[in-house]
Amino acid sequence: MPEDVGESAAGRWRRRLLDLLGRNLSVVVLALLCLISSAATWREQNPITSRSGGAVARQVLEACPAPCSVLVVARDTEADMVFARAIEEGLEGSRVRIAGRVFGQPREVRLELERLAGTGASLDAIATHRIASEWGPVRTAGVPVFSPGSYHWPTFLTARNLLNVVNQNADIAIIALGMTLVILTAGIDLSVGSLLALAGVIAAVTAQEWFGGAAASPAGLLAAMLLGVVAAALGGLLSGTMVTAFRVPPFVATLGLMMLARGLALILAVGHQRRLVGGGAEGTPEAVRVDASVFAWLGNGAVLGVPNPIVLMLVLFVAAHLLMTRTMFGRYVYAVGGNVEAARLSGVPVTAVLLAVYCLCGAFAGLAGIVDASRFEGGRPNAGELYELQVIAAVVVGGASLAGGRGRVAGTLIGAMIIAVIQNGLNIAGVASYEQKVVFGALILAAVLLDRLQPKIASRRARMTR
Amino acid sequence: MKRLLVGTVAAIGLAALGACAGGMDGSESGGVARGTIGFSAMTLKNPFFKIIADSLTAEAERHGFDVVVTDAERDVNRQSQQVDNFLASGVVAIVLNPVDRIAIGPAVRRANEAGVPVFTSDLQAVAEGVEIAGHVGTDNYQGGLLAGEAMIEALGEAGGEVLVLHFKQANSCVLRVDGFRHAIGEYNRDRTEGRIEIVAELEGGGLRDEGYRAMADGIQAYPDLAGVFAINDPSALGARTALEQAGRADQVRIVGFDGEIAGREAIRDGKIYADPIQYPDRMGVMTVQNIVSYLDGEDFERVHLIPTELYRQADAEQDPTLD
Repeated sequence: MPEDVGESAAGRWRRRLLDLLGRNLSVVVLALLCLISSAATWREQNPITSRSGGAVARQVLEACPAPCSVLVVARDTEADMVFARAIEEGLEGSRVRIAGRVFGQPREVRLELERLAGTGASLDAIATHRIASEWGPVRTAGVPVFSPGSYHWPTFLTARNLLNVVNQNADIAIIALGMTLVILTAGIDLSVGSLLALAGVIAAVTAQEWFGGAAASPAGLLAAMLLGVVAAALGGLLSGTMVTAFRVPPFVATLGLMMLARGLALILAVGHQRRLVGGGAEGTPEAVRVDASVFAWLGNGAVLGVPNPIVLMLVLFVAAHLLMTRTMFGRYVYAVGGNVEAARLSGVPVTAVLLAVYCLCGAFAGLAGIVDASRFEGGRPNAGELYELQVIAAVVVGGASLAGGRGRVAGTLIGAMIIAVIQNGLNIAGVASYEQKVVFGALILAAVLLDRLQPKIASRRARMTR
Repeated sequence: MKRLLVGTVAAIGLAALGACAGGMDGSESGGVARGTIGFSAMTLKNPFFKIIADSLTAEAERHGFDVVVTDAERDVNRQSQQVDNFLASGVVAIVLNPVDRIAIGPAVRRANEAGVPVFTSDLQAVAEGVEIAGHVGTDNYQGGLLAGEAMIEALGEAGGEVLVLHFKQANSCVLRVDGFRHAIGEYNRDRTEGRIEIVAELEGGGLRDEGYRAMADGIQAYPDLAGVFAINDPSALGARTALEQAGRADQVRIVGFDGEIAGREAIRDGKIYADPIQYPDRMGVMTVQNIVSYLDGEDFERVHLIPTELYRQADAEQDPTLD
């Protein structure tokens, strides 16, 4: 590198850093967004844990020099139970007597206080958490209320919220993986949202009507889900056929399928509802409920604390990444997107590659549909509306070029997460939905602008080094 | 130079986010005396739900709560996400206009498990195994009966063919149409002449543009129409536009629903015959009162249905809220 000779060490480092930032811009943007979201959601946190329960117990002990009696108040939830147990354990064997305990709603607290007053028992304090300390009966009980201290921490950076962010967008990310392949071939797939709905409805209707409804076995439910995915894959195959055999532009072919699949999903759902009510009136396009409770596991269950949709997303991501970087098929996809004619002349089975790509995209949309149906315990004919736009946005923000040939599966995952973080950050910061749309529009424009600028930058850099 | 440009683009996007987020932060750290209420509206594109949101916010602030209003945009997936976000940010109560009365179930169950009370307004949730702390809504079936009465009144002794512009996804609308059908059925009993016949239910989406398109088709399919019942004002106004364009506005009477400002103006101008009117402002206020009662441990009516009232041209002429 001849021009490096006169450059100072500091200048070289700066250039390297900028280079690294430029190449991983989306990662940098994601990190910055996380920082901003954290700053915007810097809030008081009120822990309800075993530790905070112990702290309350100590407070009570300190404040009660003589024997006294205390009422423990908590809600009827798992975390609250743990919290309340810690209070009682902290007070065990001490001079403090537990006058009573309430696990429930404010109303139950009032009734318990009335009961205690009726028995004439003395009450010296209430031990509870911050939320219940604001309840009317607790505030007006006329005795000191002890609750754990709070601390400040970004709500965005809580485990619950971070899992929320990824979990909520796992379906978008899953579809975006398939969409990346399509966009790499310079195509587009507008039908993904509708295929998602179709897959969910088919899974739900078949689970209810063919595989036994409430009594469906796990194997039957799996078969129902598989049917849904296969239907969506067939839909993808149909658009692939239109694109390859009849040279229909992908935009038009998948637009047609988008309406077709949505219509089918609605017809199936309404037909099912009609059969439910005995065939008289026309059914309503509501979710087709699946009675078997196991069905909800995929969407609402968790493996080692990680929600299943996230696990599925990660597995699919690794598979797609390996497919695109380690296999002949991956190289073919890039070749087709780079230059179809050149690919054809060098022996790439272009038709087969395109068919496979659209089929895969459909299957990924179908999988997301199964996740959706499981999450809502039923197939929703209106699911996934406008998903195609969110998914395309994720892929574009992730750095793929709509002109084909350029983009990475990993970039798409980051793109999906960028959109997820912005959405979540705006939501928990309390930004109204109207403003959110403006931010999203600006983001997509910025991403496309970057896409346009990058080739120019690359060519100038090449000129400079020459 | 190029880096600078790239960086600038990214910075603009981030600044936009930062500005929005920062702007909102100040308002909420102000007075968290009684905590935050999270409200997920059905769609803020419909003024009806905006009124619920605004009245709920005003009443809640009067009681010392903060309110975060989100728009589910008629997507139950989005609404579930909003519920999860509310839970993550530690609200004291959640208010919903459930987008899908069944599919919202899992999200409500998660709120139940987290010990956060869920209140519904306007639309009810009927999913199994969920606990709704309180509901305030319109008595939609009664409203449908009134809509039927208005239609009978509008058509007079001649009767005729009537079209329904439906929005089946919302159960409230299903109840309205049930009530409407019941009223018309009662009227037709023992009647051989001047019967009112409901010829079709078309999907008007509850929106102006979809209502317009459905009505335009309806005029073609049923040239002898005498009346239209639209399940809300936006679709009634869409229907009116279609009828005017077809030159049929004088022959086809419209009965709407809601009584939002645009609808009441149309009634005053004789464009819509009458509306059973709802009281979204009361829904917002009563929902907050229910939340206060809940937190104070007091008893309150778990399901409160506000009856509608018929609103005709004569009412509009004396309506002080119309200029």
